Amino acid sequence: MSTELRLKVETRHDELDRVSAAIEDFALEADWPLDLAFKVNLALEEVVINVMNYGHDDGLHEIDIILTTEEDSLTIEIVDDGRPFDPLHDAPIPDVNAELEERNIGGLGIHLVRKMMDDVQYRREEGKNRLTLVTSLAK
Amino acid sequence: MGVSTERQDNTLIAKTEGRIDGANAREFQDALDAAIDSSERAVVLDLEEVSYISSAGLRVILLTAKSLQKQDAKFAVCSLSESIREIFEISGFDQIIAVHDSRNEAVDALKN
Repeated sequence: MSTELRLKVETRHDELDRVSAAIEDFALEADWPLDLAFKVNLALEEVVINVMNYGHDDGLHEIDIILTTEEDSLTIEIVDDGRPFDPLHDAPIPDVNAELEERNIGGLGIHLVRKMMDDVQYRREEGKNRLTLVTSLAK
Repeated sequence: MGVSTERQDNTLIAKTEGRIDGANAREFQDALDAAIDSSERAVVLDLEEVSYISSAGLRVILLTAKSLQKQDAKFAVCSLSESIREIFEISGFDQIIAVHDSRNEAVDALKN
């Protein structure tokens, strides 16, 4: 049996609260382990905030978020009409081994997404970025 | 997003709670900056009541660590949840910031 959650958020930071609340509810309903809700929240926030911060030059835009759970996996699709951005190739790669003085935060969000999700796929289609994240639901 | 402070053996303990995310990281940064005086020599950030942190929150912790290093002060974080500890490890933050299981352990470590 598959279940689905669809969210539409505007590109402003205070929408993050609504996203996290919806994920918490969904997680509770589906009886997810705590660390899974954390992981999903984190991956979503990092992707969505990138779009909010860098996706557009002006105005409010919408981001579509679709979560689909199958028996043993969760797929998260994030769709935005911002400038083309492929996090797999366009994000800076952070040096997670640098000393404190040289440490930079750039690219860390996307690094976390790639490490926490089992699969990340990017497509540019019909003028939109479509990012698909997959993680296992195995407990 | 507030930061409360107390003092233990000349170490400043800064504590916050809830979520540290992209929506409130700036507020967290301002509160933390206001709580830490430039004369501090040892600071522990207690994350026991923090349930969630994203890269926006990690950025604030990194900036704090850097600024404390500049003022020649010691810095540690303590009482991380399992998920937050994992984020620290994936980010390599555990290599540049001292992480302790408890507040007392952190305070003891900074004494030396």
